[in-house]
Amino acid sequence: MANYSQVMLMFGFAVVAMAPALIISRMISPRKRSNPVKFLPMECGQVPSGAGRTHFMMQYYAFILMFVVFDVMAIFLYAWGATLLELEKSTILPIIAFLGIMFGAMAYALNQSKRRDIW
Amino acid sequence: MSVIAPKFKLSYFIKSLTDNIFWIIVLLTLIGIPIIMIVLIFVDLPVHDGELVNPFLAFTMIFHPELAVPFLKSIIYSDFFKIAAFPGFGFAALLAAATIFAERKLLAKMQLRVGPFYCGKFEGILQLMGDGLKLISKEIIIPAKADKPLFWAAPVLFVATAAAFVALIPVAPGWVVADLDLGLIAVFAVIGFFPIITVISSWSANSKYPFIGGIRALHQMVSFEIPLILSLLGVTILTGTLSLSEIVHAQENYWLIVFLPIGAIVFFISMLAELERIPFDLPEAESEIVAGWLTEFSGMMYGLVQLGSYIKLYAFAGLFVVLFLGGWQGPMVVPPFPEEIITEGIQAGPITVQIAGLPIVSQEMLNGTLWFTLKTVAVIFFILIPRGVFPRIRIDMLLSIGWNKLIALAFVNMFIAVGLIYAGILGPGGIW
Repeated sequence: MANYSQVMLMFGFAVVAMAPALIISRMISPRKRSNPVKFLPMECGQVPSGAGRTHFMMQYYAFILMFVVFDVMAIFLYAWGATLLELEKSTILPIIAFLGIMFGAMAYALNQSKRRDIW
Repeated sequence: MSVIAPKFKLSYFIKSLTDNIFWIIVLLTLIGIPIIMIVLIFVDLPVHDGELVNPFLAFTMIFHPELAVPFLKSIIYSDFFKIAAFPGFGFAALLAAATIFAERKLLAKMQLRVGPFYCGKFEGILQLMGDGLKLISKEIIIPAKADKPLFWAAPVLFVATAAAFVALIPVAPGWVVADLDLGLIAVFAVIGFFPIITVISSWSANSKYPFIGGIRALHQMVSFEIPLILSLLGVTILTGTLSLSEIVHAQENYWLIVFLPIGAIVFFISMLAELERIPFDLPEAESEIVAGWLTEFSGMMYGLVQLGSYIKLYAFAGLFVVLFLGGWQGPMVVPPFPEEIITEGIQAGPITVQIAGLPIVSQEMLNGTLWFTLKTVAVIFFILIPRGVFPRIRIDMLLSIGWNKLIALAFVNMFIAVGLIYAGILGPGGIW
């Protein structure tokens, strides 16, 4: 467990080391609040219209859904891959069955993701 | 505006100098000494040779180096040094800064420009320092409707996550911040945080271009995470372990790129996509959506994101070296330490000093660091070069490459690895 805490220590060290950069920058940089236009979001010089978090068509939403499933399945394969040297050769068969299910599901999902009209 | 001092007078200059010195002394006396006292009360000083390290001992160390060496050793082998300096943050930040400068010069040469030139005597070598000063003294402008706490936190979190990634990369035998049994899984866990931070920053900016860029970054990182994970399955199958140090130890005779070239290529392409570099720089496409999810970052916040992305680049290059190019393994080129340093001491002019435990770091560590750094720099150059060569690809091409081609190639790579094991070429009975 001590090793895992070192990753968190490194994370914390970076936060502690980098936050002063922002604080020092805030201290020494000029701050003028004269112009309200200055604090508008960037829209290439135009006055921004509408909300920043707009609704727009996400045609590739299917890929996010696929990620949720196949990321977990890819990680499951590591449990088999890390112990392959100790396993018998016949244990490849259930893995091939698992991969077959995975390939079938992935092919179907990819096929469906091309149908823009349902998204 | 750019004139430094329009009414320069030497007497004013000297007065300002003496004023500054006066205020420094006053502040040190009023703030520094009490802080030192408080620290001395609450913090246990290091004990060396049964004696507390006090200023007197520190001064004697200057004249008696044999006292300083064990003290220096105890500092270098401490956890804090590992996190802050050598295999950790300082080393990564140094390489990241060097990468930024090298990239600007390299791209300039590829496009027949000169690149940074005027800052510093030689080839603009001080350009980065100048950029840092510029960034830190610029005003930070935050959009009025932004989620301010999240928006402030996002750059710092980005750098911190990149640093946590660096913590897992072994640089030399035993020189790694966190030597985990499940190092590869930990790498995937840390990589999974980057899209979240990107989406946090783009959502909190409450502006249109960052939002579009953030959604693009989410799609891209998420689609290429699966080929990235699957392409490393072959490495795990061949070495039978998930620990990064063990994987390097297993490559003593043969680098894994010899057996798994397809996996290495798939991993490299996914790496480019995870790093948002050309040809996969859709989240920051400057000709389409200004600067993507970086649009609203100004001043030092942009500097932090840039630093974080280059630390991430170093970490990915280091991971490629560890997994496919044999990590620190290489022929021994560092000469062995002469024996008489330990037995007879160092001859420095008329003085001979005998110092206990002198080789502070071992020969293997120096050699390993040298080879790791050389290989990492080579991989970093391969990551930089596409920026001068390739155009940006469309998002549907990107998704089709990630989901159709790279995943299929990653499975081909996995079956090659299984075939090598089951044919007896590698593994327990093979040439490993």
